[in-house]
Amino acid sequence: MKFAFFVGCTTLARLWGYEIATRRTAEKLGVELVDMPGSGCCGTTYLETLDHITALAIAARNICIAEEMGLDIVTVCNGCTEVLTKANKELKKDPELREKVNEVLAEVGRRFEGTVEVKHILRMLKEDIGLEKIGEAVARPLKGLRVGAHYGCHLLKPSDVMMFDDPEVPTTLDELIDITGAESIQYPNKLECCTGPIMGVREDVTWAVGLEKVETVKKYADIMVTSCPFCYLTYERCQLVQESSPDVPVVHYPQLLGLALGIDYKELGFDNNRIDASAILEFMED
Amino acid sequence: MMTDLSEKEGIRIGKENIEFRRLLMETPGAERIMLCYQCGVCTADCPVALRVKEFRPRRIARLAVLGQKERLLEGDTLWLCAGCYTCYERCPEKVRVSEIISALRKLALKEGIIHPTFKALMKSIAEMGYIYEIGDFQNEMREDEDLPQAPEPEVKEIEAIMRKTGFLDLVEGC
Repeated sequence: MKFAFFVGCTTLARLWGYEIATRRTAEKLGVELVDMPGSGCCGTTYLETLDHITALAIAARNICIAEEMGLDIVTVCNGCTEVLTKANKELKKDPELREKVNEVLAEVGRRFEGTVEVKHILRMLKEDIGLEKIGEAVARPLKGLRVGAHYGCHLLKPSDVMMFDDPEVPTTLDELIDITGAESIQYPNKLECCTGPIMGVREDVTWAVGLEKVETVKKYADIMVTSCPFCYLTYERCQLVQESSPDVPVVHYPQLLGLALGIDYKELGFDNNRIDASAILEFMED
Repeated sequence: MMTDLSEKEGIRIGKENIEFRRLLMETPGAERIMLCYQCGVCTADCPVALRVKEFRPRRIARLAVLGQKERLLEGDTLWLCAGCYTCYERCPEKVRVSEIISALRKLALKEGIIHPTFKALMKSIAEMGYIYEIGDFQNEMREDEDLPQAPEPEVKEIEAIMRKTGFLDLVEGC
C-alpha cells in the first residue's frame, strides 16, 4: 500500500514527534508514505474564507503533485484534510469551476485532472488497513490506560463534504484507541472545538477553551490523544502557559498506536512532546 | 465591538443596506440568509460565543438580513469564528452562520479590511510557501530527528497563483 504523504506546515515545522510516529507506524503496518516534491501549504482554512478561487487553486496545486505521482494523498492535519478534500471534491464535481481553476493553474504549468483521493491517516487506518488487521498487529497492548480522545472539527465537518464517520457521534478514533488495548473514555464536551484557529485573534480564549477540556479529561483519563497538530498545540500550550500546569500528557494518535505495535518509546518522537508522556510506559505489558 | 441592537435610536434601514444585503446574498455561502428565523442554535452551541460575549452568531445573521455593513465589518467580530462548523451542522434552515461569516470576510477584503493575523498568514504562504518558515534551521533539526528534508514548496508557483487571481494584491492593499 502506497500513498503520497502530505505532512502540512505545522507538523513539518515543529511537531516532529507526530511525523516520526506516523512514518514509523506506517512502515510497521506495511504502508509506504512517499514525500511530495514541490508541495507547500494547503492554503489553510483561513484562505477558504477569504477567496474561493485562490483557495481552490492553492489546494489543487498540491493535489496535482499527487496526481503526477499517481498516488492518493494521506494527511495528518484535520485542517489540511478539510481544505484538500473540499477542493478535490468541488473540482471533480463542477466542470465549470474546474476550468476556471485550471486557467489559473495553467499559469504555473499545472492542470487538475481529478484522479486521486485525499484521506486523513485515521481514515486510511480504518478503511484501507482495517481494525482487524491493526488488532492482529498489536504486540504490546496498553492495558489499563485511559485515554481522552479529541477528534477535532475538520476531520468530520462539514459532514456533507467530509462524508466520514458521524459528525455528532463519531467512533473512529475511539475504536482506534481501543484496538491498542487502551480504553477510550467518554467525557463531557468531547466534541467541542479547540478554537486553535482564533489563537492569533484572541489567544486568551483559545487557552481558556483548551484548559477547560484538559481539566475535564484529567478527571477521567490518564492522557489525551489528538489527530490534528493544531488541536495538539492548543492542548499542550494551554497547559504550558499556566503557572501550575495540569500536566496532562497530550499524545499524537500514531505515537499511541506505534507503542502498541511494539515500536520502542524512544523511536516515536516522544521527546518532542513538551509534557512528559512516559507515564504510558507503566501500562505496557511485556 | 458590535453595537447593541437595543440602542435607543434603533437601526435605520436605507437603500445602501438593502444593496449590501443583495451583494452578500450573491456571495457563495450567504444565499439563504433570509430563511433565518433567529432560533439561536448557532449562538447556543458556539464554543467562542460561550466565552466571548461580543461574538453572537445569531446577531451576525440578523445584521446580515438588515444589511448592516459597518456593524458587521468593524472590529474583530468576523475574525473570531474558529470555523468549527458546529452552527453549519446544526442550523435547521441551512442558513449556516459560518458560511455567512466566510462570505462577509470576502466582502471585507474587497473593502480593504482583513485582520492583521490573517494578513500575515497569507503573506507567509506567498513568500515562503508555508505558514511558518521551514528553512535551514528547521531542516537541520529534522535531520537530527532522522526526518527527510521538508519539501521545497515552489514558492514562485504559489505566489504566481495568488497574484493571478488578484488575491495577493487585495491582501497587500489592506
